[in-house]
Amino acid sequence: MSVPISIRGVSCSFGSTQALGTVDLEVEPGEFVALVGPSGCGKTTLLRIVADLEVPSTGSVRVGGEPPSQVRRKKMLGLVSQRPAVLPWKRAIDDVVFTQRIARKAGLPAETLLRDFGLSGHERKRPAQLSGGMLQRVNLASAIAHDPALLLMDEPFSALDEMKREELGEWFGRELAVRPRTVLFVTHHIDEAVLLADKVVVFTPAPGRIREIVDIPVPRPRKSRFRSDPLFVRITAHLRELLFEREEAAA
Amino acid sequence: MSAITQQGPETKTAPTPLWQRIGRMVLAVLLRIALPVISILVLWYGAIFWSGLPPFVLPRPERVLQALFTDWKLISLHLWYTLEVATIGFIMANLVGIGLAVLFVSFPLGRLLVMPAAITLRNIPYVALVSVLALAMGDGMATKVIVVTLAGFFPVLVNTYRGLQSVESIVLDRMRILDASWWEVFSTVRFPYSIPYIVAAQEITGSASIVVSIAVEWMISRTGLGYVINQSMMQYRGDLVYAVALIAALLSFGIYTLIHYFGERLDWKDGSGTRR
Repeated sequence: MSVPISIRGVSCSFGSTQALGTVDLEVEPGEFVALVGPSGCGKTTLLRIVADLEVPSTGSVRVGGEPPSQVRRKKMLGLVSQRPAVLPWKRAIDDVVFTQRIARKAGLPAETLLRDFGLSGHERKRPAQLSGGMLQRVNLASAIAHDPALLLMDEPFSALDEMKREELGEWFGRELAVRPRTVLFVTHHIDEAVLLADKVVVFTPAPGRIREIVDIPVPRPRKSRFRSDPLFVRITAHLRELLFEREEAAA
Repeated sequence: MSAITQQGPETKTAPTPLWQRIGRMVLAVLLRIALPVISILVLWYGAIFWSGLPPFVLPRPERVLQALFTDWKLISLHLWYTLEVATIGFIMANLVGIGLAVLFVSFPLGRLLVMPAAITLRNIPYVALVSVLALAMGDGMATKVIVVTLAGFFPVLVNTYRGLQSVESIVLDRMRILDASWWEVFSTVRFPYSIPYIVAAQEITGSASIVVSIAVEWMISRTGLGYVINQSMMQYRGDLVYAVALIAALLSFGIYTLIHYFGERLDWKDGSGTRR
């Protein structure tokens, strides 16, 4: 199940600081949209507004035609943060079941989910006994355990090393092909955005506005070797130009 | 030049016999008990020798042990009264401390309103507090329990509050995304997060409740170990004072050890992240 997102005239200020400029964005059901931009431009703020964790100062957000608060109450949202939000005393399997219990939505059986996430044999381990990559997989499994229609991801792989990040990114692309859903994905890594997303939204420096939306005209899931494709090189070069040009101008 | 390695014949060390291993363990335990006792006795006899204080002020250790046996009936009777006050006070301190901490986390305004009063109560000299309470309520159980409660609730309150607040914001975001109720957030996240903090507070409050009970009994009561100390001093029975002090110290130590032992089993914050 996937839902469309409609963001119209949304901006956000905290006191006298404007965290996010005015943003308009339409996301199709099942689309994977990556948000990239300089630090502090408001990408995470926008994600939190869609997640109903922040209230916009202006404008409105609709997810499947409803305000985020309504969508949240229907347990249709999944959130993956940079650091795993797992409970330190719970075993991997218990953490996944915990999401389903709180959401009162069964989704897939926890064992199946963990097996699909490459965690067979690690179901009974606690966070301190898992590697960073495994922990982030548990975090992902827990985030989608209640089968949310919209997945909001805030730099989910950035705490991992380069190899783990690539491996997990590619694996996550395949996972989405099996269980499609709408994804809003904040990242600092241009390569990651181009490899995973249907659209890359480039933000200006703070207060962030959308500078350009770049389409990636290659079907998902994409393999790692797409990185050596001339189209990939061209798109990433263009995105870098957009980002660094702004930074140079700001400097 | 090639390196020359000399390898001797392979030697296998025979496993240590069981009786030897048991013997070593017993010796290790005995040394752990004996060494502190010996050091205390050396200091004690040294103090008697060098201070020249009379026996009713600083009796010999064997005299204290003798008093412990001869006056055991009196001590055990009053020990029961002290335990009663300390236990009820300890439970009340936890109810008040944990209750206020939950209130402060749920209603931040409550913290602004109540915390100054809690700090003031905490800092009133116990002598003044006991005097006022004794005048208002007499020298019964209620007065003693209230003083033990007031002395013990603050560490519980501060630690529990800190524990309840220690939940990472990403975990709270996760709960909000799942539209969890207040009770679900409290019972499944905030409370488990606060357990190590609550346990740490028990280690302070548990043993302090014995010490404070004795102090209050010493001031106003006609029952309890504090009363026995008071009466013993009037009769120049230093040996009995020391015997009671020994019992109180052992009791506090026992309570601390018990709380520590069970607390460790509830604490998920050990190295492996396992909750045994």
